[in-house]
Amino acid sequence: MEILTAIAIGTMFAVGVFQLLRRNVIRSAIGLLILANAVNLFLLSTGASVGMAPPYVSDIPVPMSDALPQALILTAIVISMGGTAFVLSMLYIISARYRTSDSDEVDGLKH
Amino acid sequence: MPESALLLPLIIILTGALIAALYGLPWLNRRLNVTQLSWLLALAPFSSFCILVSFLDNLEANLVFSWRLAWLPSIGFNLELYLDSLSALFGLLITLIGILVIIYAGQYFKGDRSAYRFLTYMLLFMGAMLGLVMAGDVLTLFIFWEGTSIVSFLLVAYKYKDEVARRSAFKALLITSAGGIALLVGLLFISYLAGSTTFTVILKSGDILRGSVFYPVMLILVAIGAFTKSAQFPFHIWLPEAMSAPTPASAYLHSATMVKAGIYLMARLNPALGQTEMWFWLLTLVGMATMLAGAYLGLKQNDIKALLAYSTISQLGILMAMIGQDIEIAFKALIIGILAHALYKSALFMVAGIVDHETGTRDLRRLGGLRRSMPYTFAVGALAALSMAGLPPLFGFLAKETLLATAFHPSLPKIVAWIFTLASIVTGALMFTLALMLLWDTFMGEPRDPAVRGHEPPKAMALAPAVPAILSLILGQLPGPKDEAALLANAAQAAHGFKVKVSLALWTGLNIPLVLSGVAVCLGVVLFLYRQRLRELQVRLSPAFTLNTIYNWALSGLDKAAFWATRMQQGKLRRYLFIILAAAIGLILIFRGLPPPLNLSSLSWPTADFRGELVILRFFALFLATVAALVSVWVRSDFTAILAFGASGLGVAGLMVLGAAPDVALVQIVVDMLSLVILVLALTRLPRIQRRRAQEVTFLQRPMGLARDGLIAVASGITVMLFTFSALLSRPRQSVVTPYYAANAKKMLGSKSIVGAIIVDYRVLDTLIEICVFGIAGLGIYTLLRYAARKFGDKGTQVEELPAPTTVELNTMGIGGTRASNFIRVLAYVILPVAMVIAVTDIIYGHDMPGDGFTAGVIISLAIGFWYVVFGYYETRNRLFWLKTSSFVAAGILLAIISGTLGVIIKGSFFANVDFGQMLGLSLPKGFHLSTSLLFELAICLSVVGSVTHMLNTFGHPGEEDRECIDCLRQIAELENKRSQ
Repeated sequence: MEILTAIAIGTMFAVGVFQLLRRNVIRSAIGLLILANAVNLFLLSTGASVGMAPPYVSDIPVPMSDALPQALILTAIVISMGGTAFVLSMLYIISARYRTSDSDEVDGLKH
Repeated sequence: MPESALLLPLIIILTGALIAALYGLPWLNRRLNVTQLSWLLALAPFSSFCILVSFLDNLEANLVFSWRLAWLPSIGFNLELYLDSLSALFGLLITLIGILVIIYAGQYFKGDRSAYRFLTYMLLFMGAMLGLVMAGDVLTLFIFWEGTSIVSFLLVAYKYKDEVARRSAFKALLITSAGGIALLVGLLFISYLAGSTTFTVILKSGDILRGSVFYPVMLILVAIGAFTKSAQFPFHIWLPEAMSAPTPASAYLHSATMVKAGIYLMARLNPALGQTEMWFWLLTLVGMATMLAGAYLGLKQNDIKALLAYSTISQLGILMAMIGQDIEIAFKALIIGILAHALYKSALFMVAGIVDHETGTRDLRRLGGLRRSMPYTFAVGALAALSMAGLPPLFGFLAKETLLATAFHPSLPKIVAWIFTLASIVTGALMFTLALMLLWDTFMGEPRDPAVRGHEPPKAMALAPAVPAILSLILGQLPGPKDEAALLANAAQAAHGFKVKVSLALWTGLNIPLVLSGVAVCLGVVLFLYRQRLRELQVRLSPAFTLNTIYNWALSGLDKAAFWATRMQQGKLRRYLFIILAAAIGLILIFRGLPPPLNLSSLSWPTADFRGELVILRFFALFLATVAALVSVWVRSDFTAILAFGASGLGVAGLMVLGAAPDVALVQIVVDMLSLVILVLALTRLPRIQRRRAQEVTFLQRPMGLARDGLIAVASGITVMLFTFSALLSRPRQSVVTPYYAANAKKMLGSKSIVGAIIVDYRVLDTLIEICVFGIAGLGIYTLLRYAARKFGDKGTQVEELPAPTTVELNTMGIGGTRASNFIRVLAYVILPVAMVIAVTDIIYGHDMPGDGFTAGVIISLAIGFWYVVFGYYETRNRLFWLKTSSFVAAGILLAIISGTLGVIIKGSFFANVDFGQMLGLSLPKGFHLSTSLLFELAICLSVVGSVTHMLNTFGHPGEEDRECIDCLRQIAELENKRSQ
């Protein structure tokens, strides 16, 4: 199963990068979100390997999954969502400024 | 005197600077003029001078004072002051000339109400310079060193409206601060090898330093620092241009004090770094080149100040060469030279300032015959100039004698001694000529320009240069070689490292130096008589290619390089991303190399074991996440791509459930939906034409470009995949921290959910920052779209004054201008309260079950988002009038901080968990804890609702183009209404 997980994460990352490199800014934003998902999955896979039970305190001692990466992912999800929303608004500003949603036509950065 | 009194002079002078700065206040400025202010401020250097004098008695017994304040002890950074005879000599010069210059400046700027700026800089400089010579720690020294460079910049650029002054200031700053960086590195080398940053240790570890393989490196670095500061060849080019500073500053910084900082540093470090072959050759050669170049270039100047600047350079060269020697007489020459030069040169500069002030010119070709109209100034100038010329009975004579004695010293190699002596004689002769030229062409002869007429300056102004000039006369006459010379002898000893005898007797019998001196004077007279022809010759000989050409060439080269580098910025976002990603992958490959062949046997392929159902679910989730992501690339329509992304996110949530992370999965699900809503809203905000055009260009590029993007995507995917492989292979079997949390979460926090406990307690500051970031993102979006967008022609999100909620049905439309059916409208009405109930449950039972304040906030926001979709912007805003977005964010963050503070008040630590229910003995339902955690969850929920509603408000607001459509639809609806009535 691990091999499939790794391949899936790699594929999602590749898709994210490819979308990020599109000229269409909406696609770039989608790419960013897919990248964030891939990274979160990667983080989850760094947790300890033993343990199938959710990390809840219980009377029956069962091996639980690693709680720390989960807490980190929780924060990461929230921040990446806020960040993406912000990026979207910037993309909107840029498209309003240059009257286009094609990032190749945005030439304000040009020297 | 206690050692902490060392700090007093600095404090007094910096207080003076503060007072001078306060004088900029209009109500003070009106009451006191600059001259009065200068008298007041002169008290600061005066009292510092007195304090330093009070240390002298002890210093004569060769005592050393040091005082230390631990500043950043963790990195061994101390503020350390240190006073020995060498520091004291410099300190006395700085404060003594400081008094005179401040008084002089008060007269110079008479009536100029903005001159407090000048006095502030001067006192700041004085503080920095005093700190520099009294620093007992190389880092303290460096800080003050840079301070002098910066204030010097401000002073040179004092007349900042003049472009030349600005350029000169820039040049001075560029050269001296570049040297400062070299110095810092050199000093760090020294303190690393010596094992300490304090001078007391460094001065004793000379053998270690000299024996180190890094010796040449640190010597050259430190020397570059000293050479740039003390205007040594070839770095001297900044000093003549620094003359665009007002004359009092030139007199003080660029002759008497700051340019001697490099001399001071080298003299200070001589016991630690000196007495080697390299030291000798470096300092002697550079010093000789500087003294010859300065004297030669000085001859062709017409401006008095420029002439004085070049003669200063020459004198600094002499001093630098003296430090390079390893003989007693050289250090006698050094100390006498420093004192003599500081006295006569500051006097001459101030005289030059008087001449400039009273006649309006400093051009030697126009001046002349001023002895009649300014007899007193003439007398002062003559004293100082004769000292500069090195004529007895003035102090400058002694300086020249000792220089010649050093140059001719038998310990030097034969050929060096010859060259050195010759160079000293030529320099002496040129200096003599310069001094005479200065005196003669200004005061003697007939006025060359009848328009130039002078008169005596005010008394205080004339008094200032008289003091050092008279001192140069008296010091040469003092009887008794022992008492007065003790300070100088001790200072020389501090620089040399061994005992130095200093006597100030002028007449030491007929010896070789005296003869050489005579030769120099004769040569000087000859040069003076033929000065006109010499100067013409010099102008004709002046090379087309000078050091300044190199400087300008380097600067313009830098400009060109910057221009070229920015030309590479072709402004395509995708190109930047491509470079960043390629560089990241390249770096990983270079430094990490290709991973070793993976041991695949330890990894498992899906197997149909007893957990078969889970495997199938997992397989399905992986499939969903990956394939949906791939589909989002493939589909043509952006809207479909967004939906595909949403599906992929749900797949990820499924994986999280199966990875036994229910809390994360819940948040992932709600955030995925929220992202979907926001993406769709953002899409609808874009004008339709743009949207269509952007959709068309998604794949519209050359096949090569597409292949390149694909390649980089695949490469980064493979890199991440390999990363994941190694992470999966090397992850620990057992978590280290989870058992701790599991054992303590319930006991300490009453929380069953470990992830929840981490979020609201163990890593609570993370969460606090997280909600701040989230809140700021919401506010930022609002600001961007409301204000910035409007600037570019879009009306943006104008929050109009909405009418109070009415019972009359509003004829507004949902997203896309379509009116939702009543069924959906009812559903929307129901969903919001339900969402709120779910949210409250989440908050209350978050510590026992999946779900927390964040989930609660997003769930409410999703319901509100549904309203936006169904009712449209106007009606939603109208119905949810109580939803004050910014206040929600603020209230949330405030509540979070309050709940943290309650922990401080009750338990004594920030965000300590306090269970009020338990504390007050309330009987609450099982699982309901009235605690600070609950408050914090509520705070998270509030700020998330506020922030997300901000986002929805701004993205959900109909854009300019859509509004026309909406208005049109609104009219239709009104017509329909009328008809039905």
